[in-house]
Amino acid sequence: MQIMNKLKGILWGLLLTVGLVSCNHYDGTSKLLINEVLTDNEANFQDDYGIHSAWIEVFNKSYGSVDLAGCYLKVSNSPGDTLTYTIPKGDVLTVVKPRQHALFWADAKPNRGTFHTNFILHAERPNWIGLYDSGEKLLDEIVVPVLGADQSYARVQDASKQWEVKGGSPDKYVTPSTNNQTIEKNEKMEKFELHDSAGVGMSLTAMLVVFVGLILLYVIFRTLGKAIFKEKQTAKPSVDMKQEDTANKAANCPDEVYAAIAMALHEELGGVHDIESNVLTIHRVHSPWSAKYDALRVIPRKK
Amino acid sequence: MGEFATFIANNLADFWTYTGFCNATPGHLVMILVGLFFIYLAIAKEFEPMLLIPIGFGILIGNIPFNIEAGLKVGIYEEGSVLNILYQGVTSGWYPPLIFLGIGAMTDFSALISNPKLLLIGAAAQFGIFGAYMIALEMGFNPMQAGAIGIIGGADGPTAIFLSSKLAPNLMGAIAVSAYSYMALVPVIQPPIMRLLTTKKERVMRMAPPRKVSHTEKVMFPIIGLLLTCFLVPSGLPLLGMLFFGNLLKESGVTRRLAETARGPLIDTITILLGLTVGASTQASEFLTWDSIKIFLLGALSFIIATASGVLFVKIFNLILPKHKRINPLIGNAGVSAVPDSARISQIVGLEYDPTNYLLMHAMGPNVAGVIGSAVAAGILLGFLSM
Repeated sequence: MQIMNKLKGILWGLLLTVGLVSCNHYDGTSKLLINEVLTDNEANFQDDYGIHSAWIEVFNKSYGSVDLAGCYLKVSNSPGDTLTYTIPKGDVLTVVKPRQHALFWADAKPNRGTFHTNFILHAERPNWIGLYDSGEKLLDEIVVPVLGADQSYARVQDASKQWEVKGGSPDKYVTPSTNNQTIEKNEKMEKFELHDSAGVGMSLTAMLVVFVGLILLYVIFRTLGKAIFKEKQTAKPSVDMKQEDTANKAANCPDEVYAAIAMALHEELGGVHDIESNVLTIHRVHSPWSAKYDALRVIPRKK
Repeated sequence: MGEFATFIANNLADFWTYTGFCNATPGHLVMILVGLFFIYLAIAKEFEPMLLIPIGFGILIGNIPFNIEAGLKVGIYEEGSVLNILYQGVTSGWYPPLIFLGIGAMTDFSALISNPKLLLIGAAAQFGIFGAYMIALEMGFNPMQAGAIGIIGGADGPTAIFLSSKLAPNLMGAIAVSAYSYMALVPVIQPPIMRLLTTKKERVMRMAPPRKVSHTEKVMFPIIGLLLTCFLVPSGLPLLGMLFFGNLLKESGVTRRLAETARGPLIDTITILLGLTVGASTQASEFLTWDSIKIFLLGALSFIIATASGVLFVKIFNLILPKHKRINPLIGNAGVSAVPDSARISQIVGLEYDPTNYLLMHAMGPNVAGVIGSAVAAGILLGFLSM
């Protein structure tokens, strides 16, 4: 009982710790983010109609598909002039695949398709853009400063917190519908090859983690085992326990004894024998299916 | 009549191009022989028949030559084929966790709980993984491939498949076949190393019988085990989560039907599908490469290192343990997670030197610790090396 109380205490403590730790690290869980915006499109990306319009790129940062249908894109240039575009339902293209992008044309021509909004972005003024889910909960917002022609305001990398103006230099390029920074190399692997080409560092780290994990398990179960043993030793046997002890005295014998008893019973009850007689014995069991009385037709009797 | 005969002859000639006889290459024949050898080992020698029969027959299935350009959708690498659909359990990595669920539901961790220091042997044997990792790097494999190859040393087929499907999918066939082959060859590989590294006196060392483990401890083990290992290595969650979940089904005592399904029909079904598709994935064109030969070599080395490090760790550990708590080094080999084969080897070798010294129950401790250790190691490798 004492142990159970202790265990309950440990469990509650663990849950509380986990709760507190996770609260401290809460930093927004939106899967959808505004990723890049271009307000003055002179010679940049064209829509399906061959027209250069401003655009807003939304990024799905999660590793699962997300449907944008029913979400809202809102734009404002000054207080009170907010325009809202409801992303239509019923278009399979609104499902954004994991770590992929969706591009919306801010051309005020919603009749041209799902991805053409009912508002425009003003190139000469800062634009506030908000992305809301279908329950009007704000998912992400950004104030886009005034940009030069064919420049975009974008996150440095997909879903990163830092924003920068892109366009006009070879390392900062505009990337509609694609990653904000093209990953040309595997930095992780390069680091490994540079600093740990023999794999010693990796092996030591990994073995350390394996040992730490299993040592922790060892410590916990050693402590738990000792606590249980101590409780058994200190617990005063009640009347019931005494009776139980007497009843269980036989149960404390070695497992081999059980095995021997079980084998003996099995042999006795199962009719196991060394030599087979090769004679089959059919034990008759009464059944209406084989009973002559039930099978024969009853002769009608004249009364 | 002549035209009709020509038509028939053309038809037959056309048909000939579809047959296995026409498309066979020496590689196919070699692989078919390998498959037959596996089946022979399983039936005649009874080496891991549950694995080698499906894998061996899978190799035959995967190496029936056919006209690839005909688009028949019969090959395992042809999208939409039946074999390809079944193979998705391997490529997407969901067969191994289901196998772990069954393993959890059939594993009794009592030996480990009663003597938790045996956990450390399970940790020490994971040196096999990282020893092979370092040698693989030396042989020119990149870190991801080396990690996937190294896991063979964990002696855990499902873990090897799980990790290689994530880190080096192109090597998965060779890694899986290598892992299962060496698991089957545990009775051949381990005893000489065990004898080499132990003295006669050490081999007859007796260990104190394990204490009885309470129901509370058995129930607590999977819960604490999961929380601890997965908080430390979340990338091991698919394997460790299912392993401990299966064990809780078994130990809770109130989900008998679920536990029986997990350790019976479910694990049998997945084993059949896993073995067959892994075998079939060894198509000669994909499998017969220098890399596969290197992987087989590294697999053998990793098993040897794992066995040796387990045995040597016990010997070193004994130096700091009180005399009455010392461990027989013959159970050190069981730190590799080939359950229960490596524990059985400890028992067999132990009985050779003292026919009354039963080591099986003691060896089961490091053996099941090896399962946890290799899953943790796989999680670490995945965490460090995945893109």
